[in-house]
Amino acid sequence: MILSITFFGFLILGIPVAFAIGLSALCTILYEGLPVAVVFQQMMSGMNVFSFLAIPFFVFSGELMLHGGVADKIVAAAKSMVGHIRGGLGMSNVVACTLFGGVAGSPVADVSAMGAVMIPMMKREGYHADYAVNVTTHAALVGALMPTSHNMIIYALAAGGKASIGALIAAGLMPALLLMVCNLGAAYYVAVKRGYPKGSFPGWDILLHSFAAALPGMLIVVIILAGITSGVFTATESASVAVIYALLLTTLVYRTLTLEKFLAAAAKTVKTTGVVLLLIGVSTMFQYLMGLYEVADMTGELLAGISSNPIVIFLLINIILFLLGTFMDMASTILICTPIFLPIAMTYGMDPVQFGIVMLINCALGLNTPPVGTTQFIGCAIGGVSVGEVMRSITPFYGALFVALLLVTYVPAFSLWLPRLLMN
Amino acid sequence: MDIELQAMDVSPPHSAGWLTRMNAALARTGMYVAIIGLMAIVAVVFYQVFGRYVLNNSPTWAESLAIVLVLYVTLIGAAVGVRDAGHIGLESLLVMLSDSARRKMDIFIYALVGIFGGCMAYNGWVLGSSVMSYTIPNLHISEAVRYVPLVLSGVLIVLFSIEHIVAILRGEEVKPSWN
Amino acid sequence: APMLSAPAAARDFRSADIHPTDYPTVEAARYVGKLLAERTNGRLGIKVFPNGALGNEKDTIEQLKIGALEMMRINVAPLNNVVPETMVTALPFIFRDTGHMRRVLDGPVGDEILAAMESQGMVGLAFYDSGSRNMYSAAKPYKTLADMKGAKIRVQQSDLFVAMIQALGANATPMPFGEVYTALKTGIVDAAENNYPSYESSRHFEAAKYYTLTEHAMAPEVLVFSKVAWDRLSKDDQALVRKAAKESVPYMRKLWEEREQKSKDVVVKAGAQIVEVTNKQEFIDAMKPVYDKFANTPKLQSLVQRVQETK
Ligand code: NA
Ligand code: NA
Repeated sequence: MILSITFFGFLILGIPVAFAIGLSALCTILYEGLPVAVVFQQMMSGMNVFSFLAIPFFVFSGELMLHGGVADKIVAAAKSMVGHIRGGLGMSNVVACTLFGGVAGSPVADVSAMGAVMIPMMKREGYHADYAVNVTTHAALVGALMPTSHNMIIYALAAGGKASIGALIAAGLMPALLLMVCNLGAAYYVAVKRGYPKGSFPGWDILLHSFAAALPGMLIVVIILAGITSGVFTATESASVAVIYALLLTTLVYRTLTLEKFLAAAAKTVKTTGVVLLLIGVSTMFQYLMGLYEVADMTGELLAGISSNPIVIFLLINIILFLLGTFMDMASTILICTPIFLPIAMTYGMDPVQFGIVMLINCALGLNTPPVGTTQFIGCAIGGVSVGEVMRSITPFYGALFVALLLVTYVPAFSLWLPRLLMN
Repeated sequence: MDIELQAMDVSPPHSAGWLTRMNAALARTGMYVAIIGLMAIVAVVFYQVFGRYVLNNSPTWAESLAIVLVLYVTLIGAAVGVRDAGHIGLESLLVMLSDSARRKMDIFIYALVGIFGGCMAYNGWVLGSSVMSYTIPNLHISEAVRYVPLVLSGVLIVLFSIEHIVAILRGEEVKPSWN
Repeated sequence: APMLSAPAAARDFRSADIHPTDYPTVEAARYVGKLLAERTNGRLGIKVFPNGALGNEKDTIEQLKIGALEMMRINVAPLNNVVPETMVTALPFIFRDTGHMRRVLDGPVGDEILAAMESQGMVGLAFYDSGSRNMYSAAKPYKTLADMKGAKIRVQQSDLFVAMIQALGANATPMPFGEVYTALKTGIVDAAENNYPSYESSRHFEAAKYYTLTEHAMAPEVLVFSKVAWDRLSKDDQALVRKAAKESVPYMRKLWEEREQKSKDVVVKAGAQIVEVTNKQEFIDAMKPVYDKFANTPKLQSLVQRVQETK
């Protein structure tokens, strides 16, 4: 109670989110009479996770590509390919984020990498910052459903062996495609409404030239994808390889990176890392307090008392997961909620694999909702806009995701058809 | 604190007192240290891959070292973010307030941020002391090194918040150390 | 919001566990609470927070020390760098079998190790089973030392486990638990090691089907109370807590055996191959450098000797 009141109070005052969360956690722990040090311990513990190293790495390689001029070459190629469609850069951003989601395996890494390249580019090409951020952050959510998703592993762990990882991976592909299509629809809708430019087709000659110039830059995705799928390196390691590759490419091949530009890229990376990981840290404080108050447990009990109709129950579960997701980080929502909601969902006839996908989409949605939306924060930090500004044009994108979510919730075939085809 | 500030047409004069000069130097030094740390993390994780394939021997200290270093980079970056007004916030009701009310509000916000920084520093000290005698697995250095950046960052945040409050009182603005 | 209300009443000790709510250690801690409540007419009790709701194992050690948490269930491995005496129970092949382990931990040696935690702000209450840890691999079973020569084997972040894998002639690869499934599947690591329940619940058996019964470690679980909170209890209450904790051990072991059997059935049904090692002695002999390095004080050496002498 005191947690939510103080938090919203601080937020409305205009205190930066990270400090609003931190200060409200402080007030709450003081109110409970527990040692204050415990919330700071949780903050440090939340930041001290090896997989999070991918965040600075992907931001860094993106910044290097950006300051080294590689990104410009990619945008030139993308523009010559799809620039003649209305909002073409927005559309290609969606596809690129989806593909990259299969590489990065997490919306956070996806938005760090693609956002660092695409958002400034879109801004330069005359798109509004809020549109650029919304396109990227929503397209990046697909990362949670792609084969390299850590969160799938976390779900399988939390489900205690009820859902096989193989089936989950197969189950994620169709909904990922569905999400991409919905995102494309939203991106096109806003582009038409705002009258974003559609250039003229530059001709095959220029297309091929720009494509050849961009190829070494785009090779980074191939290196990462091939590296991870062939088992050469882990997702986190691949991110460090991406930095090395970006460095070599911009200094030795393109010869565009000066010391000054390098320092600028590194400094920007440090700042973005500081902003993002501090948020993850203070979110962990918040999660500790939610664990202490057993918010999730009480919700489960409440739910069981409300209805026994599967359609209503699934809707309620979706709403609750979404609301919890607005405050919490993906991994902890999954870990805390799976043991409570999975048995309920199974009682009402939902397959654990399908529930996993529903859970992942819900948690991914939460990454794009204030007050605690990691993906959204990163997008905003890169785009240099405030969360409030981004919220103004977010409705079509939320709409697209809700459509996808409802389809996956009520049409089991979206998630179960492919695994059944492949596994049996 | 919102990012809009940088886009204002008429910018107030930059602050230039001794606190500003010291903080600017601190922020710059911090950034250089953080950049070196960032490069070190990249090198360490890359060396982990290199070790596994080329040396056929995975360095067991790499993971431990990388996640300790990232705390330093993060917390220095977070502190400099306070000085350069880089943290993400909701656009508040402040825009509707009068200039003087808004100034008072800004002072209040920086005071709270400063208090949080103070708590970071103090509790970092408490936590660091409590784990001083333990070593980090595979690294053989004290667990306390994990909490040193919390103390450093807390102190920097306090200094940067005071600087902002002083600047607001004088009708000045803090010039970002890194753009 | 109406969802938020005050946490458990002040009489309930908070106890942390990273395992899920139906895990034997979680049930056992609840059982301690039940015994306490019965014997004090509800004056004392325990509220268990499973699923790592209050942080990971290392977090809870620090919370216990500063008095933010009254009780925790934790494996001895993360305690090794905090309380050196716990290292003895995690040493490879220190216990001959489950019976030997239980006799040692229930006896004077176990009590001495529990008592050693006091100097670090913790009151050790009881040891629980964690089964034996075995190697599992994707390409071939590890029946002999030669089979695992140069293999990349995932280990937890622990000096002791790294040294053990290296002494077996393999390549120790520390890696976060969450990345292991993919790493096994893609061949970044060749093998990992854990007990039956973790091999099953992590679905690692899908990626590595050879489960070789190396039984290289039996690092037990331990129930620990905060010294800060302990000193606030009356002598009688302290005795009550100790007694209830000890009495939960047989209860936990029964749950554990059921759980282990259940996990074994699941992995076998899914196609995992359970393989015996050819000659366990060669594994044991290879551990000499590990013992030299870690049992490096007269106190630890004496503990090791007394464990080995326990019938
Ligand atoms: Na959110
Ligand atoms: Na969230």
